[in-house]
Amino acid sequence: MDPKVNGQLQTEWGWLVAIYLFLGGVGAGAYTIAAINGFMGESLEFSTIVGLWISFPALMIGSAFLMADLGSPARAIYAGMKPKTSWIARGFWIISIFMVLSFFHLLLHRSGSTTADTSLVVISVLGIIFAVLTMAYTGVLLGASKGIPFWRSGVVPVVFVVSALVTGHFMIMLGVAVFGESAAVETLRVMAIEAAILVALEVLAIFFFLQAAFKTPDTRESASRILRKRLFVVGYFLLGLGIPLVLMVYIGRTDGALDGGPTLVMVGALLGLIGGLILRQAILVCGALPTWNIAGFKFRRIARPKEPKPAMGMLPPH
Amino acid sequence: MARYGMVIDLKRCYGCYACSMSCKVKNHTPPGVFWARVLKGEEGTFPNTVRQALPVLCMQCDDPSCVEVCPTGATFMQEDGIVVVNKDTCMGCKSCLMGCPYGARYSVESWESYFPDGLPLSEYEEFAKQQWEETSGCGVATKCDFCKDRLGTGKDPACVEACPANARTFGDLDDLDSEVSILIRRHRGQQLNPELGNNPKVYYLMPR
Repeated sequence: MDPKVNGQLQTEWGWLVAIYLFLGGVGAGAYTIAAINGFMGESLEFSTIVGLWISFPALMIGSAFLMADLGSPARAIYAGMKPKTSWIARGFWIISIFMVLSFFHLLLHRSGSTTADTSLVVISVLGIIFAVLTMAYTGVLLGASKGIPFWRSGVVPVVFVVSALVTGHFMIMLGVAVFGESAAVETLRVMAIEAAILVALEVLAIFFFLQAAFKTPDTRESASRILRKRLFVVGYFLLGLGIPLVLMVYIGRTDGALDGGPTLVMVGALLGLIGGLILRQAILVCGALPTWNIAGFKFRRIARPKEPKPAMGMLPPH
Repeated sequence: MARYGMVIDLKRCYGCYACSMSCKVKNHTPPGVFWARVLKGEEGTFPNTVRQALPVLCMQCDDPSCVEVCPTGATFMQEDGIVVVNKDTCMGCKSCLMGCPYGARYSVESWESYFPDGLPLSEYEEFAKQQWEETSGCGVATKCDFCKDRLGTGKDPACVEACPANARTFGDLDDLDSEVSILIRRHRGQQLNPELGNNPKVYYLMPR
């Protein structure tokens, strides 16, 4: 009920928007990996099929979460009216075109087209371009928010692109582990090596993001809050990055048959996916308003006194 | 056409919240929504400290980031420089709430009672809710509009009229002879966070 003050955390965008950004990233990331694997030959064929089946539904479900967060969802039809200045409007068009492309790619693949067909090559290249734009959009959308300095870092889109590739990759691995047969073990081993490299890149990206955030007073508040958040430290750093990285390196280093390989892949991929969701939620809820200043007078708000503990004569009425 | 702006004299403001209350009464804002706020802050280290009240409202920026990020065009600037929201085309994405560096925008899901424990709305609250739905509404972005309906009748915004210390002055920034223009020139009016580049039309006269 208090009026907004400087340095206060935003409370408007929470889990619903985080799930939207997460599923948008998963869909675009899975498509990118699937389309690239489609050019790599027979050995990764199954991962392409899984990725194409994941991409379109993930984007559909993600868009439903965004709709659920809108105050007036019936007016979502107006969302693309100002693409010249608004990133939400640009995202509306980017995701719509990407959804159409991913759907047609899936149809072409189902009809038996191969990478030797020009139409599939064209749609794959276009699809990859729009998938990368979708991944970047989820980060740029936050970067366009002038009211939250923490999100305005140039590293945010990089973090979101890398994280989208990681989560998309893990989603494909999960699908391959669940639906693949014994022949999929080698595919999983190759994908585990790719996943380990991508997770290592995400560790670097998040390191640079937080390092940059600690450099300015406006973003330091958010950066220190995100590192004090147990869900972020345990759920993201430890379970979402650390354990999947160890598991993927372990799976990637084994030659031939690996006892319980698909189970380890499932555990690692699930943890990585949960980590990706926590990352987005934490970045959202730790966004704080900037410090206000006029002519060098930095306006530092006075900390609110703690509520007095109920004592004799102050007990609430029953 | 006028280009409306406001000057707030921080030497005069003593933080009585009359502006906040008059805004609430005039605009029937629901609980938790403060289009006109008064913040209390401090600066310096003991014994050289200053305690300062800082009244804030929508800065009616000349380069508003809320207009820039709005995907539907529901937020726009009128010819008189006032930034307004068309409640019939706003889809409630809240990107303008994130885009505004001054925290001036609000969006509420429903008009709930000021009283605790889920009590039903009082008669006055029912009236206020009805007024709110007609002028602003739930599920859309809302903000201060310099009481544009009052301006049409030749009155100043409610917060300006209610200020007991005469700390607020309202007028046409393009008219060099208007009181606001003279105050800004004579006392070096300052904008809040000018480095952000939003070019607010609310100016402050410094306390020292």
